[in-house]
Amino acid sequence: MMLSPERLALPDYEYLAQRHVLTYMEDAVCQLLENKEDVSQYGIARFFTEYFNSVCQGTHILFREFSFIQATPHNRASFLRAFWRCFRTVGKNGDLLTMKEYHCLLQLLCPDFPLELTQKAARIVLMDDAMDCLMSFSDFLLAFQIQFYYSEFLESVAAIYQDLLSGKNPNTVIVPTSSSGQHRQRPNLGEVSILEGVEASLFYQRLESLCDRHKYSCPPPALVKEVLSNVQRLTFYGFLVALSKHRGISQALGALPDKADLMHDPAMDEELDRL
Amino acid sequence: MAAVEKRRLAVAPAANFIDSSRPSVSGAAATTESEEDFLQQLGVTKMLRAALLKVLEARPEEPISFLAHYFENMGLSTPANSGAGEPPGQLLLQQQRLGRALWHLRLAHHSQRTAFNNNVGVAYECLSASGRKKKPGLDGRTYSELLKRICRDGEAPEEVVAPLLRKIQCRDHEAVPLDVFRTGMLTCFVLLEFVGRAGALYQLLEDPMLAVADRRMSQAVLDTLEGVLQASSGASAPTHYLEAGSRLGPDSLALAMDRALVARRPSSPMTREEFLEKAAALFIAKVKPVG
Repeated sequence: MMLSPERLALPDYEYLAQRHVLTYMEDAVCQLLENKEDVSQYGIARFFTEYFNSVCQGTHILFREFSFIQATPHNRASFLRAFWRCFRTVGKNGDLLTMKEYHCLLQLLCPDFPLELTQKAARIVLMDDAMDCLMSFSDFLLAFQIQFYYSEFLESVAAIYQDLLSGKNPNTVIVPTSSSGQHRQRPNLGEVSILEGVEASLFYQRLESLCDRHKYSCPPPALVKEVLSNVQRLTFYGFLVALSKHRGISQALGALPDKADLMHDPAMDEELDRL
Repeated sequence: MAAVEKRRLAVAPAANFIDSSRPSVSGAAATTESEEDFLQQLGVTKMLRAALLKVLEARPEEPISFLAHYFENMGLSTPANSGAGEPPGQLLLQQQRLGRALWHLRLAHHSQRTAFNNNVGVAYECLSASGRKKKPGLDGRTYSELLKRICRDGEAPEEVVAPLLRKIQCRDHEAVPLDVFRTGMLTCFVLLEFVGRAGALYQLLEDPMLAVADRRMSQAVLDTLEGVLQASSGASAPTHYLEAGSRLGPDSLALAMDRALVARRPSSPMTREEFLEKAAALFIAKVKPVG
C-alpha cells in the first residue's frame, strides 16, 4: 500500500466522494433490499462481500440500469471493458455492423441504454455523415469509449466549439471562402462563410480552462494539447476522431487494451483450434 | 434506517454537484416501513456505519477493495452455526486468530501512526486471548509464526527476511510483551516496504534483455544507500531509515552510477535476489536485536 499523503489530508467527505464510496454503499443497500428474500441473517456480510468484490472486478454493472452504469467513472470503465470482452468476437470475424446493430448489443448488457448515446458515438466514426453506414468493431468501440466515458466533457466542448464558430470570440477570423460541402454545423450566414472549423490554439485555451473548472472526468490536458498541436484548424468531429484514435488517452482511461489487442481473445482461439 | 435515510438525503444534493449526471442510484425515493424494519432487524445500518468509520480511519488507497475484505473477514468471524457441533480444534483456532490479527494489522499503513498503533493493540489482544488449552498472553512461537506470515504475504523472498527474523524473534515459550510486539510489527512492515522500493530500484538498473543488472552499478547504488543510512544512524525509529532511503538524491546516485560506468571493465551481473538481500541487510544491520 503506497503512501499518497494527499488522500490522508482530505476532509472525510471529500475522501469518500473521490472514490464514490457512498454511491456504492447506497447501491449495496438497495441491492440488498431488492434481493431480501434470498438473504438470511448471517448472509448479510457475505452479501456485502460479494457486492464489493463484484465492484472491484467490474462485473457489477452487468444488466444494471443506465443511471447506475454511468454513475461513476469506474462504472463507465467497467461497462466499456465488459462490452469489449463480450463482443470482441464480432471484431475478430471482421463483421461490420450498423449503428442500430451495435445498439442492440449494448442493450443486451444494459436494457435501457439510450439510443442517443449510441448515435453520438456513431457520428464520431462516420464524421456525422450517412448514419446508416457500416462500422468496424474497433472503430465503433474506440469512438464509443470517448463518447460514453467523457459525455459531459464532450457536451461542454460542443458548446465551446459553437461559441468559437459563431464568432462569439472576438479573435475569430471571418473570411469569404469558396469551399463547397458546408459542414452541417455551420450557421447559415448567406454570402459570408466562415473558414472551416476553429483555430486549434484558441480551442485549446478554452478547453484547458474547462478541464480546470470541472470535477467530472476530462482527458489528460497534456494529451489534449498533443492532439491539438498537430493542426492549425480543426472541426468538432475531426477533434473527436483524433481523441478516439489517440493511444495515450485510451491508455490513461484504462478500460480497453491497445487497438492492436482489441481482437485478442485467447479463450476463443483455443476453442476454435479444437474444432 | 434513519441513518441510512439521512445519508441518502445528505448525499443526494451534494452528489448532484459532484456526479453531475447521477439522478438517483435507486428508483425509489425512500425506503418503506417494512424495508426499514428489515434493515434494522439485520443490523445493516450498524454494520455499514462501523464499516464506514473503519474506512475513514484507515483511508485506504482502494476503499472498495478494502470494504470487500472487511466484510469477508466479518463473515469469517461470524459462527456458521450457533453452538451446533464440535468446537473447532486448537490448530484451526490458532489459524483463525492469526488470520484475524493479520487483518487488523493491515488496516492502516504503518505511517498512520495512531491508527497503526491502535490496530497493533487489537491484534495483540486477539492473539493473547486465552483459549481452551491456551494460557492468556502472546507466546514467542505464535509471534514468530505471525512474522513469517507477514513476510510471506508481503512477497519478500525468505533469504531476504531471514536475518531480520533471527534478530527479532523470541524463544518459543517466552512471553512477548506489547512493546516488543509493536516494535517488531513496525520493523517488519517497514522492511517489507523497503524491500519493495529496493525492488523498484533494481528494476531501473535491470537490463530488460538479460533480466540482470550490472554488478558495478548495483554495488554503487547499494553503497550510496548504505551511506545515506549511516548518516541517519542517530535516529532510532525504523521509519527514519525509510525516509533516509527515499532522500537518496538523484545527484549522488547519478554520480555513483557514472563513476561505475566510467571504469569500463567487463563486469559480472548481479541478480535481483542478491540485490534485495544486500539492500535488506543494510536495513537489518540497524535493527536492535531482541533480548
